[in-house]
Amino acid sequence: MNAFTAFFKKELSEAAHTHKLTVMGLVFLLFGMMNPLTAKVLPDILAGVMPDGITITLATPTALDSWAQFFKNVPQMGLIVMVLLYGGMLANELSRGTLTQLLTRGLPRKTVVLAKFSAASLVWTAAYALCFFVTYAYTVYFWPEGSTTGLPLAAFSLWVFGLMLLSTLLLGGVLFKNSYGCLLLTGGLVALLSLLNILPAMQAVNPMVLPSNGMALLSGTFPASGFVTPLLVTGAIIMSMLSGTIFLFNRKAL
Amino acid sequence: MMDILCLEHLRKSFGDKAVIHDLSLAVPKGSVYGFLGPNGAGKTTTMKMILGLLKADAGTITVCGEPVRFGETKTNRHIGYLPDVPEFYGYMRAKEYLRLCGEIAGMSVQQISQKSSELLSLVGLSGNNQKIAGYSRGMKQRLGIAQALLNDPKLLICDEPTSALDPVGRKEILEILHRAREKTTVLFSTHILSDAERICDHVAVLNEGRVTLNGTLDELRKQHGQGRLLVEFSSQDDLDRCRQLPELTQSFIGAQIEGYTAILCVPDLPAAETALLSVLVRESILPNRLENQEPTLESLFMEAIR
Repeated sequence: MNAFTAFFKKELSEAAHTHKLTVMGLVFLLFGMMNPLTAKVLPDILAGVMPDGITITLATPTALDSWAQFFKNVPQMGLIVMVLLYGGMLANELSRGTLTQLLTRGLPRKTVVLAKFSAASLVWTAAYALCFFVTYAYTVYFWPEGSTTGLPLAAFSLWVFGLMLLSTLLLGGVLFKNSYGCLLLTGGLVALLSLLNILPAMQAVNPMVLPSNGMALLSGTFPASGFVTPLLVTGAIIMSMLSGTIFLFNRKAL
Repeated sequence: MMDILCLEHLRKSFGDKAVIHDLSLAVPKGSVYGFLGPNGAGKTTTMKMILGLLKADAGTITVCGEPVRFGETKTNRHIGYLPDVPEFYGYMRAKEYLRLCGEIAGMSVQQISQKSSELLSLVGLSGNNQKIAGYSRGMKQRLGIAQALLNDPKLLICDEPTSALDPVGRKEILEILHRAREKTTVLFSTHILSDAERICDHVAVLNEGRVTLNGTLDELRKQHGQGRLLVEFSSQDDLDRCRQLPELTQSFIGAQIEGYTAILCVPDLPAAETALLSVLVRESILPNRLENQEPTLESLFMEAIR
């Protein structure tokens, strides 16, 4: 067995033992169920709490409302939960010194970064897929006739954005050596990208399109072609974050 | 004898603070090498440079004849390393941890399981199925040694393996290191002199980034510090008679005298002892106590760091 497989296995078993896997699974399962249910029952709830004499007219919920919940909850809450759980994945090991014995045993530093990224990505992918397919199943059940063109692209884009956050956490780990630094770096990046989104010139390339415009794509107000450049830019950012992390880690005194 | 580890003109500073100044030393194969020095002398820094965890500002390090490079150095395949406070993944058990280490080192499943059970019994953790999170410090040090010995290293580097332990834990670690010497060269740092005295054959004393004393314990005892001979007489009269004997006047120069007890500083301890005994017999002076005080590592150490 090579070092990558060994360390990747260790990362997955650590996720299971430290309850990261359970928390991610439960949170995303809960979102997956709540998205369609909220869309379905929200009008009834609102009608129920309105005082007598006041009537509000709400459009009958559709499949799009269910996906609107999905593209609101996952970027807002789901990604935050993931970032909090994985904030210390490299930083904590470096500050505690658990990696020292493994590195002096010949574990390449590049392997540490890549195995951590792969394992975290796998957990993110699994949790995200769970959330997506649960939402999908309920949505099809409640609104069998609903059409959702562009859904695969919108869902894929949000997933890629999650990968970018994970790669940022790794760079933060090697830069700051504590999980707060990682969270600040990641939060700072998202804040910066959101600010840049104000400039019309940046909107066409900004990775923020990926988590924000999924719903617009589904409702037909944003073209699918608008995702291409942001996806390429995000891919490039992920690559640079990972290479940057490896570059800095290789030169880091431990 | 071949040197397994060679440091030549090593220098290291952190910012403006120079930690290691022109450090050179050689660790001969098969020795148990004590790397002594007060806290902050640069012992850990030196060890980290040997492992490629820190970059030396100048100088060369060779392990088994191969140069050490900062970062991923190939020389680490010859080395087993036990950090001062080894940290583990608390959710693992000892066997699982050793399996991870073995897999990383590219050992086969069979090698790992055979070597793990052998080493766990060496360090006294073989029946233990507890999670590492519940280990005491001594148990962690013992698991750390098992980890360090997993790939049959030619050089075992231990950074203050006994400093944080209680007397029982210290004794156990020293015994394990003593047994490990049959298969490997051991370099271990400590500021506990009695530990070094118990198992080392070579010592180097590091003080303020320089080696101030270096050699085998026997050599050092011979070269540095004089032998001391303590004689406790039964009366003042005996003491005075002895002092006036022509054969002994030389020995009594600079002697410390307290009550009836004289401590003589002599360059050649066995010769002085023979001379003294024959004179005492001839003069029928029977001392209450005669003690041969060899220079202790402590006195050598105190001299070296002065």
